[in-house]
Amino acid sequence: MRALDAGIIVCGDCHKLEYLREGEVQHCSRCGARLHARRPGSIARTWALLVTAAILYIPANLLPIMTVSFLGQGAPSTIMGGVVELIHAGMLPIALVVFVASILVPTFKLVGIALLLYSVQRHQPMSARQRILMYRFIEWIGRWSMLDIFVIAILVALVNFGNLASISANLGAAAFASVVILTMLAAVTFDPRLIWDNTFVDEEEEEEGEAVAEAD
Amino acid sequence: MARQLPPLEELIACHECDLLMHRPRIGEEQKACCPRCGYEMVTHRAHMRQRSLALVLTALLLFVPANFLPIMSLNLLGQSTVDTVWSGVLGLYDSGMEGVAVVVFLCSMAIPLAKLLCQLFVLLAMPRPLLRPLGCHCYRIYHHLREWGMLEVYLFGILVSTVKLADMAELHLGVGLACFVGLMLAQVWLEVIMSPHQVWEALSEEGDDART
Repeated sequence: MRALDAGIIVCGDCHKLEYLREGEVQHCSRCGARLHARRPGSIARTWALLVTAAILYIPANLLPIMTVSFLGQGAPSTIMGGVVELIHAGMLPIALVVFVASILVPTFKLVGIALLLYSVQRHQPMSARQRILMYRFIEWIGRWSMLDIFVIAILVALVNFGNLASISANLGAAAFASVVILTMLAAVTFDPRLIWDNTFVDEEEEEEGEAVAEAD
Repeated sequence: MARQLPPLEELIACHECDLLMHRPRIGEEQKACCPRCGYEMVTHRAHMRQRSLALVLTALLLFVPANFLPIMSLNLLGQSTVDTVWSGVLGLYDSGMEGVAVVVFLCSMAIPLAKLLCQLFVLLAMPRPLLRPLGCHCYRIYHHLREWGMLEVYLFGILVSTVKLADMAELHLGVGLACFVGLMLAQVWLEVIMSPHQVWEALSEEGDDART
């Protein structure tokens, strides 16, 4: 049974249970947070953030993220350019890490969150367990896309030899950082309980069972 | 409602899928997971406060050296430059990328520090009823900041940069890197030890007395 069906809502911050009182603005008696049965406007807000991120995703990949100047000669490089450079230099493992963190993960996040939203809105019979795993993965992996931004920060500080050699950051980096932050915000505003709200309840799962205790 | 529900104190709801259950009784160093979605709901750590306090203090001691001592230095034709977390922020700021500089500053310095200070205050407030309401507030702030501190990602960034620069010029690792690794480990360990439900319970014991 869902807590909401029993007229109980869970505090989003400290997870204390409280009875739902209709037509009243409720605050948690323990931590004072505003109580909501589900995160308010979850689907609309997540869509808004996601669409913004998707638009910024284009300049993030097309514009150069940094310019490497060597003896006065500047060579701007995009995200993909950086990966190709690493491959040419024979550093495959690192190239793979950068490729996964800055190309695969942001793309997967955009598509993944869109899929979750679509499935919740359309009552898709996609397995809830699969979707919750996807949600958790998206939530966990989000921060790792900042990797490229940190690399740029370090390179800019370190390679600073005036005319001899220097690295400067470009607009692509700002767009990329925005994409990462927007998709992280989208994962935060999405309420995972919506995934379970419109799934058919299996008979084996509907009984309010004792939670499984496991040795740590 | 056909059945009479037990009192709220004996119930627990999974925060990820909203399944309502009886609150399980668990012993030290055990955890309870949601049977439907597998979310880890409750973990009980032995000596949570003392262990967390030790880790918070370690992390705070390491914070300044980790951010202001050189992580590495680069040597090119006799010239050398030094990189610290702070100089990375300044470098971005000076190259006209103020927005990105602020993001890097927040994710690698300001938010990790704010998180640690919140945790320290919460741990100090636990046995003091007068401070508990403020402690609750700090712990809420901590929960909202949690995933925005990105020390471990930064460490990976350091790794990628060393590989990129290794064949371009002479590279030396500095003391700051050791401190940074220490800070990151202490912070990750702290997140494992400081079990939220235990903290909330400690903060709400005789909570009514504290508020009046």
